[in-house]
Amino acid sequence: MKYTTFNQQSTNPLAEPMFFGNPVNVARYDQQKHPIFEKLIEKQISFFWRPEEVDVSKDRVDFQKLSDPEKHIFISNLKYQTLLDSVQGRSPNIAFLPIVSLPELETWIETWSFFETIHSRSYTHILRNLFADPSEVFEDIVLNEEIKRRASDISRYYDDLIFATQLWQTQGEGVHQVDGQSITINMRELKKKLYLCMNSVNALEAVRFYVSFACTFAFAERELMEGNSKIIRLIARDENLHLSSTQHILNLWAKGKDDPEMAEIAEECREEARDIFLNAVEQEKQWASYLFQHGSMIGLNKDILCQYVEYIANHRMAAIGFDTPYEVKSNPLPWMNNYLNSDNVQVAPQESEISSYLVGQIDSEVSVDDFGDFDL
Amino acid sequence: MKMDKLYIIHLDEDTQLACHQDKTLLENLEAHKVEVHFHCREGFCGACRTKLLDGQVEYITDPLAYIDDDEILPCCCKAKSDLKIKLS
Repeated sequence: MKYTTFNQQSTNPLAEPMFFGNPVNVARYDQQKHPIFEKLIEKQISFFWRPEEVDVSKDRVDFQKLSDPEKHIFISNLKYQTLLDSVQGRSPNIAFLPIVSLPELETWIETWSFFETIHSRSYTHILRNLFADPSEVFEDIVLNEEIKRRASDISRYYDDLIFATQLWQTQGEGVHQVDGQSITINMRELKKKLYLCMNSVNALEAVRFYVSFACTFAFAERELMEGNSKIIRLIARDENLHLSSTQHILNLWAKGKDDPEMAEIAEECREEARDIFLNAVEQEKQWASYLFQHGSMIGLNKDILCQYVEYIANHRMAAIGFDTPYEVKSNPLPWMNNYLNSDNVQVAPQESEISSYLVGQIDSEVSVDDFGDFDL
Repeated sequence: MKMDKLYIIHLDEDTQLACHQDKTLLENLEAHKVEVHFHCREGFCGACRTKLLDGQVEYITDPLAYIDDDEILPCCCKAKSDLKIKLS
């Protein structure tokens, strides 16, 4: 079905599935099939921040004091996060917007992806402060084997869905010849690709960031690189919200509260989806080995970091109805919670009380007493 | 002064904890040194998801994280009755 930017047929967005129904026409939010996405948009917008708000100038001095293994840990993590947000800043838009059918979900996807671009810009902000010319760091992202391996796993499911959608929207269902390969396109296959892609995104938001978060906050525990840690705290808060959205989508499907065919697919592809998650966990653990290959840092080593990934993974897997395959029962890095608690995320002093302080900023209540000292 | 009402939280057969009505369930559990997984403390990350086996809670902020019908988010709810919960 050809994509149209304004579908002129009357549709009932309350009866559409989240994806692969009619293209969205009117961007209206007065009624929602799944109100959660409207609430997530509101919350995300209330979290708005700019990298420039955070003063990272002290980090430059701290960075010079780090040992070489610590510098390797710090810079490698920034590279990995730059990769993740490069993907996330564009892919939800390109993969999901052409097939989305609900206005509130469409806008959530755009809002979500926009915030990932703020994250990307903040890495430039951090690196520009540390190096006169950060080019070498950025250029290594497409050369470094460790990072490239992760990049191909992360982008594979997106690319697969995007390619299949393009074929479907230009050629329709059927068997198509592309570059000497015959490719079968039908709705069931498209939905399967969407399901696997959403699981891969969910795993990305759920565990892929957490090894680098832990390292950043371990530096902050030693009062080092605190500007960077402030930025990462803001990023972690956003990522938690993004994760909540992918968990909602997966659960709405699995519980048959959206497209009934997606419920069947969730059942059918359960093992494959579980493997996507376990794979992401293994890759994070390998990443921990790579980070600590030249030596560890105070307060953190490879083993404890791997345990933390497993601990987080157990919780994240339970949230989408999977078993909890790892042994770890209690949190191996309890201090992480202080950094992930949204009320400890302080940017401006007026935000110290409540993180989403812009909500209700304007008081429209006027009482008679307000005119007490008024003379005409 | 309004008297603070106390409810009971049943964690398992042998563990019963006093629960102050004016504090969130998470704060109550922490006051008793019970380890609960948490991150945002604002209802959007879902880290503290807990099974509610019996009883009623009321939310002080709208929970945004995904929770099943039999689950609650202790970080943003208060007890409305005695509770029976199962921590994950």
